[in-house]
Amino acid sequence: MSIRNVSKTYASIDAVAPTSLEIESGDFFAIIGPSGSGKSTLLGMIAGYIDPSAGQIAVDGRDIVPVPIYRRNIGMVFQNYALFPHHTVFQNVAYPLKVRGLAKQEIATRVRESLAMERLEGVETRKPAELSGGQQQRVALARASIYQPSILLMDEPLGALDKNLRDEMQEEIKRFHHELGVTVIYVTHDQQEAAFLADRVAIMKDGKMVQIDTPRLLYEQPNSRFVAEFLGEASIFSVKSTVARSGQKHKVVLDDGTQVVVRSKLRSADGHFACIRPERIMIGARLKGLDNVYRATVRESLYTPGSIRYRVALDGTDCVLKVRVLPQGNVEFHEHGTSVQVGWSADDTIILKE
Amino acid sequence: MKSRSFLLFVPIALLAAPFFLAPMTVIGIESFRGKAGLMDEYVKVFSDTGIRAVLMDTFYVAMMVTLVSLLVGYPVAYVLSRLKGPMATIGVFLIILPFWVSTVIRSFAWMILLGRNGPVNVFMEYIGLIADPIRFIDNGIGLMIAMTYIMIPFMVIPLLNGLRAIDPNLLRAAAVLGANPTRQFLIVTLPMSLPHVAVGCAIVFVTSLGFFVTPSLLGGDLVMVSMLIQVQANRLLDWPLASALAIVVLLLTIIVFALLRGSQLASRRKGRAVTGIQS
Amino acid sequence: MKMSEKMIWAAWERILRALVTVVLIGFLVPILVVVAVSFEPKTYLSFPPSGFSVQWYVQFIHNGDYTSALMNSILIGVAAASLATIAGICGALGVIRAAAPGSTLVGILSVAPAVLPQIVLAIGLYPISVWLGLQGTLLAVIFAHAVIGLPFPFITVCGALTAYSSRLEIASMSLGANYFQTFRHVTFPMIRPAVIAGFIFAFAASLDELVLAIFLSSPATRTLPLLLWEQLNFQITPELAAAATVILVVTSILIFAATVLPRLSKRG
Repeated sequence: MSIRNVSKTYASIDAVAPTSLEIESGDFFAIIGPSGSGKSTLLGMIAGYIDPSAGQIAVDGRDIVPVPIYRRNIGMVFQNYALFPHHTVFQNVAYPLKVRGLAKQEIATRVRESLAMERLEGVETRKPAELSGGQQQRVALARASIYQPSILLMDEPLGALDKNLRDEMQEEIKRFHHELGVTVIYVTHDQQEAAFLADRVAIMKDGKMVQIDTPRLLYEQPNSRFVAEFLGEASIFSVKSTVARSGQKHKVVLDDGTQVVVRSKLRSADGHFACIRPERIMIGARLKGLDNVYRATVRESLYTPGSIRYRVALDGTDCVLKVRVLPQGNVEFHEHGTSVQVGWSADDTIILKE
Repeated sequence: MKSRSFLLFVPIALLAAPFFLAPMTVIGIESFRGKAGLMDEYVKVFSDTGIRAVLMDTFYVAMMVTLVSLLVGYPVAYVLSRLKGPMATIGVFLIILPFWVSTVIRSFAWMILLGRNGPVNVFMEYIGLIADPIRFIDNGIGLMIAMTYIMIPFMVIPLLNGLRAIDPNLLRAAAVLGANPTRQFLIVTLPMSLPHVAVGCAIVFVTSLGFFVTPSLLGGDLVMVSMLIQVQANRLLDWPLASALAIVVLLLTIIVFALLRGSQLASRRKGRAVTGIQS
Repeated sequence: MKMSEKMIWAAWERILRALVTVVLIGFLVPILVVVAVSFEPKTYLSFPPSGFSVQWYVQFIHNGDYTSALMNSILIGVAAASLATIAGICGALGVIRAAAPGSTLVGILSVAPAVLPQIVLAIGLYPISVWLGLQGTLLAVIFAHAVIGLPFPFITVCGALTAYSSRLEIASMSLGANYFQTFRHVTFPMIRPAVIAGFIFAFAASLDELVLAIFLSSPATRTLPLLLWEQLNFQITPELAAAATVILVVTSILIFAATVLPRLSKRG
């Protein structure tokens, strides 16, 4: 799919600014962003129920914008599933085939196959209201894929499910994608979900695509403060001036006067931002050899299943760092108010332009 | 495809254009066809004492009917709103039932009831309340009674919807703060029901203004504007005058609804926590 | 025993309820009076009726005027309600689902006939129906009643459409169904109860309508309310009461249908 300069304007408000992107066949492509970022609008234009104000959307070279929804042969799974309440599960899944004029026998066979694949045997005659959330989800998936569309769109499909069910369905969707090899475009506000499922992720904000990359690159090389803070956590500081340079290592002064060593490919990091991921900061001993080592006081400490999180204030500065540590081996839990040593390497700092 | 959606309005256009919009236009044009000039008919409407009397009477009847419908309808709606379950359905059914009976028939019923030898007079003579039968039908009192009877469902239904929509937690909150049931009513229920009172009154008033059936049967000496229009048009064939009168009624209707809409918007702007009315 | 404050308030509430119950039941009295009077054996009205006789019903059935007026009313009612329902469904779809250009105008036009005094419409329609050559024919009344009936299906279907998300129709189209298929398989089943209710309301409105009939019909195309009204202005007999009772029964059946049928079709 090739999206070229597609935009949508509602009464002088840009819901989607002119956007272009390429999606390869078989890709699992996720679009994430805060509410109102335009991701659902973009999906709507791909599906066809929102007309773009400008631009083309080409599938295998053919522009589909003038093609009405019902001829695009695209599959779509909606938030809240949009299952027909007055149809049984069987009728719901059979619907696209019925509408295409297939013979009754063939419809019956294919529906049963599809339901079996989604582990939904036995609920054929039930109405959607009688099914659990997870089952409704799978019916929606079956219905959207039974006619073998080349592209599957999913608009926050797991939003209505509780956490455990969501994790289970994520596995399900990943397996589904693997088995069918269909191209998936997946909209969600949950970055973990996107990172887990997608080959590539696009982050949208205020109608614009901010960065498109693999989940790993998005996390390790964000191109802006927004992306850095949207994906995971980060401690971000403003760089005021440079004191010394040695190759790519700069010794810089932050706005509040603290001196920090960072790595940057830019000539000067002045006026930019320094960003450090919480898991890259060490607390306690074994801090020799790191470019940045400071004394700090623990302001907050939080023990959560799987990780220990701290907020530490570097002594003598205004800097507060977020730190995350894995509870392994003899790791101490530092209480609020204790004095600790923190340190990190210049390689682990990311310089962001905005 | 989206741009062709206005095609959905074709049936309504086919129906409304010739049979709704055109008639309105015709009346409008006709009303300016006075013999002595453009505004002749309108001048007549406002200067002719007979016509003025009719308009005043119509206005008076409409006001009275609205008032009494409100006085009777509000308690009815209030009690209905506090019923639950099957009793609620029965109650609503009882109020709606007369609504479905033909207006002609209901007017007929009151003609029987309020006649010289009708049950009402007979009963009142029997218990000694009066010596001679009261004339109800020809002097407008019977008309107002019958019209109120017919209009009450129009008042009760919007009121009922409004009263039902009031969050019971508000009443509980008031009670917790020390308000007895009367104060709860005055502080919570009454203010929040006012927009719906306005809607009910508007509907009843406007319908009463232009009402034809009952006035023609029970009005007697009291002539309402709808009858005047009919007589002018059908019998006297004075279409310009009839049209002018119709336009006046139409304008009154529009004014009432404009006032209603204005009050709805004003109260919304003031940000009062009033349950909004879906118009 | 001293009455607690709670008991006093409860008593007030009960008194109010009792009064309102009296009022509500009192509402039925005028109707029952008409029914009672229809069984009066004498030739003039009196209440309470001096005896019991069904002669007036017999006379009513044999009275050609009444039967033809009844036929006219039913024919007009069905035709007008059908027109109103079709226009109402299309209009509601246009306003709620498609947000087509002109929606506000259509919304106003579709609801206005319900609150406009019918006398205004009547004297405007008369010249139009003459001009169209429809004066005195059933068609004139049918179109007029369709206009006043329009608000009912429009409002009920609008209500039904807003009750569920348009995603259902979008989903249907994403699965390959075009507009007609989507309407047939998805939209219509969802709005069917509202369509039925709207149709019945429009039909009942037509059945009751008098003013437009006065202006637009001829003796051959008289509707039942018109006939009743003419008789009432001329001479009141128990036969009228019998006619009225018959109409009452028919209308009651209609109300029953209007409340029960939609619920039945929902289960279907």
